[in-house]
Amino acid sequence: MSISIKRTLTVLVVLGLALSSLAWAGGTKEAGGKQIVVYMQMGGTAGDASTLARTNGARAAAAANGVKLIEQYSKWDPQTMIDQFKQAMAAKPDGIVIMGHPGEAAFAALVDQAEAEGIIVTSGNNPLPNIEAKYQDKGFGYAGADLYDGGFLTGQAMVKAGLKAGDEALVYDIWHQEGRSRSSQGVYDALTKAGLKVDKLDVSTEVDSDTSLAIPILTAYLQKHPNLKAIGTQHGNITANLPKVLQAAGKKPGDVICGGIDLSPATIAGIEQGWMSASFDQVLYLQGYVPVSQIVMTKLYKIPGLHVNTGVGTVTPQNIAEIKPLIEKGVR
Amino acid sequence: MKREGSLLASLGRVEGLPTAAVLVLLYLVFIVLTPQVFLGYRIYMSFFQTIPPQLVLALGLTLVITAGEIDLSFPAVVALSGFFFAWCFKHGLPPWCGFLVGLASGGLVGYINGVLVARLRVPSIMATLASQFFWYGVTILIAGGLQLDIAAVIPSLEHRVFTGRIFGVLPTQALWAAGLAVVMWFVLNRHRFGEAIMFIGDNAEVARVMGINVEKTRVTLFTLMGLIAGFAGLLLTSEINVFYPTQGQGMLLPVMAAVFVGGTSIAGGSGLVAGTFFGAYIIGSLEAGVVATGIGGYWVQLVEGVVMAAVVILNIVINEGGISVLSGAVRKWSVPVRSGSGH
Repeated sequence: MSISIKRTLTVLVVLGLALSSLAWAGGTKEAGGKQIVVYMQMGGTAGDASTLARTNGARAAAAANGVKLIEQYSKWDPQTMIDQFKQAMAAKPDGIVIMGHPGEAAFAALVDQAEAEGIIVTSGNNPLPNIEAKYQDKGFGYAGADLYDGGFLTGQAMVKAGLKAGDEALVYDIWHQEGRSRSSQGVYDALTKAGLKVDKLDVSTEVDSDTSLAIPILTAYLQKHPNLKAIGTQHGNITANLPKVLQAAGKKPGDVICGGIDLSPATIAGIEQGWMSASFDQVLYLQGYVPVSQIVMTKLYKIPGLHVNTGVGTVTPQNIAEIKPLIEKGVR
Repeated sequence: MKREGSLLASLGRVEGLPTAAVLVLLYLVFIVLTPQVFLGYRIYMSFFQTIPPQLVLALGLTLVITAGEIDLSFPAVVALSGFFFAWCFKHGLPPWCGFLVGLASGGLVGYINGVLVARLRVPSIMATLASQFFWYGVTILIAGGLQLDIAAVIPSLEHRVFTGRIFGVLPTQALWAAGLAVVMWFVLNRHRFGEAIMFIGDNAEVARVMGINVEKTRVTLFTLMGLIAGFAGLLLTSEINVFYPTQGQGMLLPVMAAVFVGGTSIAGGSGLVAGTFFGAYIIGSLEAGVVATGIGGYWVQLVEGVVMAAVVILNIVINEGGISVLSGAVRKWSVPVRSGSGH
């Protein structure tokens, strides 16, 4: 058999497999009545510490309500979020869940267009207060933590763990993206208000994707600043790597007070072993569950948008034990 | 002076020496600017801890690029092999079992890539790009998006052998990566397989006429790259004791940069394994070094880019005989100016 015939046959087989996998992944239709279709912006990358529980919450709500859920992952890139919103609109779903990272200026006209086409839009994780106010009666709600307040809470928990005025601190986060630095600004302000000398260090794109690459960077920073008493971050995977960083720098639990966000298995271990003093819990599961439910309630019962604050506090060594099993399941 | 110039030119032709010189120069700059960091041992131990997976990937990629091909799927293999290792361990299998399964998964991906490229003549950039998306998707799917915590692997023999600490300090993965570099050098420069790779990279048709089985060599090469990428994923997962679904995704550009900073030509036909070795340490330590100088805020990325550009230019100047131009200029400057009727 010649190479060209082999290639053609292989291409046809691969295409057939791909198309049938799409059909299989598409799910089953509900008997009688049109299934509600929701496109949802999940945020980062499928499975990462700041996305997983949100995804699981959204899927649970979709399963409970018979919703066809289309998941969108943007790696937290605002431009990608905009592009994915346009793709969602083109599909004319019943509802779209967005995040506020691109900002109201970028989203305003697009949401206007979606609403005009009868698509219900709601939001999560990062607020769009003016758009929310404009379309609340049409189901535009918000399910998320107040990011700045959450960061501030984390900073306060760090201070409470043993910091004092004059201590040196570092906040390591994605400062070059405004939408992803609101909560870290809260940490920064809380520490500054307590009288600490606080430095900012920006997370690079490579470290954002592969946070183990932060280890030599933070090791260098710790060596350069031997009097550093605190490290704060609101990046979930960097939070998980802080214990490794401190070990590489020769520190012991409690030498440097660390505050972070979200609850990955490594972060739980860090809290239990005393490396981490506090991790902001924004209950990602609710950030997934509530928006999908919101769209269903608005579609079926014309219920206006609900503003749900999911930022309930910080997880510390004192309260970690009881929620640990739920974290390992990807629910908390 | 003539002898000095030709000595410098000769040194410039020793594989990897120019890149090593750049690395040493870079560290000297960091030592001068931040002695409290770069005169201590901890920063170097942190480099030995985190750079080896990228180095291992870069070594494999050097051979692929030498053959005139490219492989963009290695980040997905890092995730896939890491998942299998972690999954096997979490389900009660001994670590060596997960290790072998992880390696085998990398080899399988590499083999499929090789078949696509060699037998079906799909351009490697397209084949491996699609492979990256596909296998990353497979990893996310079978992992259910979950991270897997495998801190309990720390006391195991596998962990001690591959990512333990010699004398409580030196990460063993650095030795494994160095050992692999030596093996890869011999494969490329002293083995028939390496010779075949270089001929294919230079001109595949001429290589075929010379009796080299081009298809078989390409399949073997991509399979080897898959195994190497699998090994990198195992080192990474064993070191950080967690499987992240996103692991490896941030390594694509730094690994490619390490290969090209090391002097391997993008055109194929020749590869500098020693250059890649030092190139990986240059790329892997740049950001930490810049941060250590006290540069903060938004300046780090910009300064890192400037330093990387300077390193690349310096490397090119040294590698392409620029050293002899420089030595000629030094020679000229050192000749005393004659007064009067001189010539």
